[in-house]
Formats: sequence, structure tokens, C-alpha cells
Amino acid sequence: MNANADLSNELAFARRDALMLRARGIAKTFTLHQQGGARIAALHGVSLDVERGECVVLSGASGAGKSTFLRCIYGNYLATGGTIAIRDDSRESRHVSLTHASPHDVIRLRRTTMGYVSQFLRAIPRVSSLDLVSEPLVSRGVGEEDARARASALLERLHVPRRLWALAPATFSGGEQQRVNIARGLIAGQPLLLLDEPTASLDAENRDVVADLIVEAREAGAAIVGIFHDEDTRERVATRVVGLDELTKQSPSNTGILQTC
Amino acid sequence: MTVSAHVAPLLSARGLSKQYAGRGGCVEIDLDVYPGEVLCIVGESGSGKSTLLNALALRTPSNRGTLTYRTRDAGTLDLIGLAEPQRRMLSRTEWGFVHQNARDGLRHGVSAGANIGEPLMAIGARHYGRLRETAADWMARVELDAARIDELPSAFSGGMQQRLQIARNLVTGPRLVFMDEPTAGLDVSVQARLLDLLRTLTSKLHLAALIVTHDIGVARLLAHRLMVMKDGRVVESGLTDQVLDDPQHPYTQTLVASVLPV
Repeated sequence: MNANADLSNELAFARRDALMLRARGIAKTFTLHQQGGARIAALHGVSLDVERGECVVLSGASGAGKSTFLRCIYGNYLATGGTIAIRDDSRESRHVSLTHASPHDVIRLRRTTMGYVSQFLRAIPRVSSLDLVSEPLVSRGVGEEDARARASALLERLHVPRRLWALAPATFSGGEQQRVNIARGLIAGQPLLLLDEPTASLDAENRDVVADLIVEAREAGAAIVGIFHDEDTRERVATRVVGLDELTKQSPSNTGILQTC
Repeated sequence: MTVSAHVAPLLSARGLSKQYAGRGGCVEIDLDVYPGEVLCIVGESGSGKSTLLNALALRTPSNRGTLTYRTRDAGTLDLIGLAEPQRRMLSRTEWGFVHQNARDGLRHGVSAGANIGEPLMAIGARHYGRLRETAADWMARVELDAARIDELPSAFSGGMQQRLQIARNLVTGPRLVFMDEPTAGLDVSVQARLLDLLRTLTSKLHLAALIVTHDIGVARLLAHRLMVMKDGRVVESGLTDQVLDDPQHPYTQTLVASVLPV
């Protein structure tokens, strides 16, 4: 099954230049050892291809596993079954199999290729908003001054008041924290973006700004998978809206060798 | 498992064991530390994490297993059975060791400046003016007032002493630093400052660090990778956010669930 999946991925990434992400038969079951080993099945074989310039919005009721799926793609959750492959043109096979990658590979992928914006900012004590937002650029070798200038421009655009830039966001309002988080997630222009309700606690004006930023990223060629509950934003950013149930195969056994072309 | 060896590890242990009269300690540990990477070893007291750290840093002899270190320019050293002069050279030029208690890592009879200058003198620096200049520079880098360069360590607060100990360890430009509970016993506000400093220094200096801690928050903030220890063995390891957000082993689940929400 593994060799099959590798080969089919290699073919897909070689033939389809625009293919950024291929998930096949992703299953996720949580085993809660503290609660008598109860097993909670969250995903039952989800398959999805995402190309450059596409924004796939996942729909489905709360609890359907949308966030879990995004977290599996980001390597934050370990998929119980299935494969996730992400384009990496520096390799002969043109892709990295995330589901078999070492932690170092995942760290590298996160630096070079995929970004993730969650609803909540995981604040780092004592680090200013401006530094938080410029950090992804600095870690990619952009000079500090240049990085700060670009971070300032983005914070400005997201209406984060200038007086807050030198402060750590721990004491900011939910909406302000979320905008710092979005700026941090989008500034590096990564080619694969995973967005988990990035507009959840924003007012209409700021939601519009975020939607603009997402559309710009998409038009610049990013492949995006997102969750948006707000109808307007969804309408504006999505090139495709799909229910998680539509992506889930009834019999996961044959998804590994599924071929598209 | 895809092999990702773009860079070779600095420190490698295979099947490393250190037990006391056949009990306790750490058993059959496999571990790699890569250049520039922060690896945290978490676990409760008695899990063997400090024993492991001491065995890796050659502060206590191991019973079994292999341990190698890739030096800057002398190739890869077999650390098991390394001669004492070589071991001392290694810990002066390539390694640092930050103790939980600053008093174990500082010399209390000499000034703050001398505490920072001394490791440089041990590797041959003699120019007094330059030593003093470097010491003052490092005091500033760890956010200590350089005007207090002639004061004894005991004149500084606990958090400041810990920062002084860090300066003393980093002044020689090591590639790998071992830290044993570097923030334990400090006030929370002092901890946050120290963590921020450690985070900045390890990333700016491209420093590899092996940090033992029982504090999940410290690990989440600092570590690229985590190893979870229980009863002397590694029960789970991986990417920090993955291990903490989707723990697989029953013990890790208990550990993560026991953290009080802030």
C-alpha cells in the first residue's frame, strides 16, 4: 500500500505541475487512555487534492473533523491512516510524504512551504507584535530592517494600532490577537496555507481586509485549504466549497491507489 | 521512515544506559541532537531525565551503549572512554552546562565579570582589557547591568544569577549546551524573561540545546522536539506541538492533561 501510494504520488506530482497537496484516505482516531481507552473516530478516510491558485473551503457541521483534517496536514496531529503528500521540487520525487516524515522534515516543510493560521494566537511572553510578525521573514533570511518594514505595512493594513506594535499581544483583545496571528501566518507568502477560521472574531471591516489578503495570496499562486463559517468571506475566497463527507470514501481500502489525471 | 540526514547530528546516543546498582537511572536511550536544534527531555522527578543529561554530558559514566560527538574540526569522537584531558577540552570549547541552581554553576568568590572571563582564560585568553570588554558585552546580552561587573554573584538576585550562569556558559561560543531545569525555582515573571532570553540566544547563535525540564510550558516555548521519559525510558518523542497536542502514550496524555490552563 505504501509503495503504491509513493508511486502514485510521484506520478501525480510529476504530471500535474500545479498540484501542491494530495491527501489520500486520511483517518484519525483518538485513543483516550485517561478515559478507559475510549476511542473517538474523527476522520474516516478523507481524500483531497489541492492545486496552486485554489482555495478549498471545507464545510460541514461543527465536530465533523474539519480542524482535525487541517491539523493532520500540518503535522500537528498524527494521522492514524492514509497518506499526505506535499510538493517539494527540491526532491527527485517532487514531493514529501508528510505521514512518514521525520520531525526535522516537518519543521523544514513548515519553514519553506506550509503555513497554518488558527483561531488563537499562541503568544510568546515578552515578544512584541512587530517581532512576532517579522519573525517568519527573519527566519527565512530576510534582513531585520526589511522584515520589520514589511511587518509594519501588514499590521497597518490589518488596522492593528501602531501603539500596540511594541507590545506583546498577551493583553490584546481577541480580535487584535487574531489579526497579529493572521499577519504572522501570511507574511512569508508560503505556497500552501491552512486556515482554521482566521476571521472568527473579527468585525466586518477587518474580515474584509483578511478576505482581500487571502484572495491576493491565492491569486499569487498559493494553494489554500480553509474553514470559514462566515458566509460572505467564504463566498469571496473560495474556488471550491466541499463537505468533509463528500471527501470521505465509503470504503477506505481502495483510496490508496486512487489515480487522477 | 524517510531519512532526512541533510545534516549529521552533533551528539548521538544508542542504547545508552546509566543505572545505579541495576536500578533507576535511564535505560536503552537512543537520541540525536542536531546543530541549532533545541531538544527538551520532559518527565517527572525520578524519571531518569537528569541522569540521562549527566550521562550525555559525560558528568557521570554510562554503563552501556554508544555515544559520539561530531566536533568542529577534530572529526567525530567516541565519547565512551574518552580521556580526561579531551573531555575537559570538549566541555571548555564545544559545550556548556547550565545547572538548575546558579550556585552550582558560578564561582562565588570572584566577581560577575571574572565569572564570565574565566572560561575564556581557560582556553588561553590573556588580554585583561579585552576580557573585561567581552564580559561587559555578555552582561548586556543577558540583560544584566554591565556597571555591576565587579560585584560578587551573591549581590545578584536568583534570576540574575541564572542569567550570569548562562553568560558564563555561552561566552566561549559553544555549539551544544546542556541545561538542567534552567527555570525551576524562579518566580514566574523571572522565568518568562529567562525563557525569552534562551529562545533568542539559541536561535541567534544557532546553538543546539538539550534541556531537561518537568515544565510542559517551558518545553512548548523552547523546544523543536520533545522526548518524554518515564521510569528511565523514553515513552514518546517527536515534534513538540504534535507530542503536546496529540499525545499517543498514556503517560504523555496524563502529563499534558495535568497542566493547569492559564
